Amino acid sequence: MPKQRLHPLPSAAFQILLSLADGDRHGYGIMRQVAEQTSGRMRLGPGTLYGSIQALLDEALIAEAGLHERRRYYRLTPAGRKLACSEAERLAGLLRVARAKRILRGDYV
Amino acid sequence: MSEKIYLLLLRFHAARFRQAYGEEAVQLFRDRARDERGLFAKVRLWFDLLGDLAVSVPRGYWYAPQELMAASGPPNWDNIPSFQVLDDRPPSRGALVLGGILSVVALAAVPTTIGRFGGYRPLYFSFAQSERGFSEAPARQDTAPAAADRGGLDSAARHRLIQAAAQTLKEHYMDAAVAQRTADALLNHEKNGDYDAITEGPALAAALTSHLRDASGDMHLDVAYTERVLQPGPARPSPAAMEQYRKAMEQQNCTFEKTEIRAHNIGYVKLNSFPEPSVCGQTAAAAMAMLNGADAIIFDLRDNGGGYPGMVMLLAGYLFDHPEYIFSPRDATTRESWTQPVAGNRLADKPVYVLTSKRTASAAECFSYDLKMLKRATLVGETTRGAAHAAVFRPIADHFGMGIPEAKPINPFSDRDWEGVGVEPDVRTNAADALDTALKLAPRRQAGK
Repeated sequence: MPKQRLHPLPSAAFQILLSLADGDRHGYGIMRQVAEQTSGRMRLGPGTLYGSIQALLDEALIAEAGLHERRRYYRLTPAGRKLACSEAERLAGLLRVARAKRILRGDYV
Repeated sequence: MSEKIYLLLLRFHAARFRQAYGEEAVQLFRDRARDERGLFAKVRLWFDLLGDLAVSVPRGYWYAPQELMAASGPPNWDNIPSFQVLDDRPPSRGALVLGGILSVVALAAVPTTIGRFGGYRPLYFSFAQSERGFSEAPARQDTAPAAADRGGLDSAARHRLIQAAAQTLKEHYMDAAVAQRTADALLNHEKNGDYDAITEGPALAAALTSHLRDASGDMHLDVAYTERVLQPGPARPSPAAMEQYRKAMEQQNCTFEKTEIRAHNIGYVKLNSFPEPSVCGQTAAAAMAMLNGADAIIFDLRDNGGGYPGMVMLLAGYLFDHPEYIFSPRDATTRESWTQPVAGNRLADKPVYVLTSKRTASAAECFSYDLKMLKRATLVGETTRGAAHAAVFRPIADHFGMGIPEAKPINPFSDRDWEGVGVEPDVRTNAADALDTALKLAPRRQAGK
C-alpha cells in the first residue's frame, strides 16, 4: 500500500499551497513567503521545502511554471486551490468549536 | 567554505532528491546566506539546516518512490522476507566490492573466533570415566577452568542443583539414615542462605563437598564441577569408546611398558595403568608367564594412575597360592573380592617389591595397599597420591557431578583407606631411586646355584 504523504495535509504543505495562492514563486520565494505569513515562526529548510514540493507535484496540487533566471517557478493548480480551500474550512470549523468551548475569544474569522 | 559544508550535508539526502532538487537546494542556501547576515542570523541558518536535515532525510527515504516500492517485493506475506528499497539507484560497483569483502570477513570471523577462544572442544571420550573405571578420572575438578566458563549461577540454578544433590544422595548412598541426615543438612544450609553469595561453579562444588563431608563424616562424598556438559545418568562407555580404548591398548601393549628379567634373575614389570581384563587379560597373562621363572618380582607403578579393579585381582592372583581377600574401597564384598590361584604359577612364594611415587594413584594404590597390608610386598619409593575413588560418579546437572559411595566393602586392615593420605612405603626413597633401591633389596642368586 503506497504511503499517504499528504493525508492529513502537513502544515508545511498547507503553507506552501497558501504561499502560491497569490502568484507563482520559486523555492526561495516560497520559503520567504511562508516565513512572512507565519511571522517568522516557520522557516522551511531545503529538505522539508523540496520534499514537500515533490509530494505536492506528485499529487498534482502544484505544477512547475517554467524556468526564469535559472530558478524553477511553481504555481497552484485548481486541485491544489480546492484542497487549500477545504483545509482552511476545516480549520475554520475547528476555530468555531474552540470558540464555542470558550477556548478562543475574539470575532475574526 | 560554508557552501562546501552544505554540499557535504546534502549528500545525506536520497539520490533522487539530490538529482531533482540538489541545485535548487544549494541555490536556496546561497540566497539565505546572502540575505541573512549577522551572527544571530548565521547561527539560526545553520540551526535550521541541521534540524531540517535530521527531519527530512529519514522522511525522504521513508517515502521511497512508489514505482520502486512496488518492485521491492510483496509486503507482509506470511513468512516471506521482503525488502524495502531505500535508494532509487543501483549500488555503485565500489559499494558492491566493499560489501562483498565485508561479508567474507564476517564469515571468516565466526570460525576464527570460535577456534581462538576455546569454543571448540575435541569430541573425545575418556574411558577412565566409565562407571567401573577406577582411576584418575579427568571429570574431577583438577584444573581451574577458564573464568568465562565458570558460569554465573542464579538462585534458581543453585536450588535445582542442591535439590538434585540431595535426591541423588538419598537414592544411591550406601546408608539410608546417613543419606537422609546429610540431605537435610544440605537443605538447611540452603535455607540459612549459606550459598546465596556463591555464583561460580567450582566454589559452589567446594562448599557442597565440605558440607556433605561435615554432615556425613564420609570423606568419599564429593561434588565436582566440570567445564564440559555431562550426560545424564551414570557414565557408561559407548561401543565406539570401547573400540577406541581397545585400539589404544593394542598400540601401548596394554600399558605394560617393560617386562624383563634383570640381573640376578629379578623379574621387572613396568605397568602404567591397570587395564580392563577383557581387553588386556592375554597380554597380562603373557607378561606374567615370561616372569614365571624369576626369583623375585618388581612391579614398577611409579607412573601408574589407576585403572580397573579386575586387573588388580588378576595380577594379585599370581602372588598367592590360595584365594586371598583383596579390599577395594568401591566394590561391595563379593566372590570376586578373592583372588584366584593360577595353574602352573611359581611366583606365589617369591619376594615382591612395588615401586611407588606420588603419581601412583587409585587402582595402583589399591594394589600397593593390599599387598602391603597382607605383608606380601615391600613398597619402595614415595607416599602415593591418596585417591581412593571409592565413589561412583553421577552427573546431577550440566556441569556438576557427584561422587557417592554406593557400597560398603569390608576393610579387614583398618578403619580408613588411603583417601587423602596415600599409601606409605615400607622403604622411603625418591621415586627416581626406587628401582635401584629395590634391586639392592632383592635377594641375589648365588653364583653357580
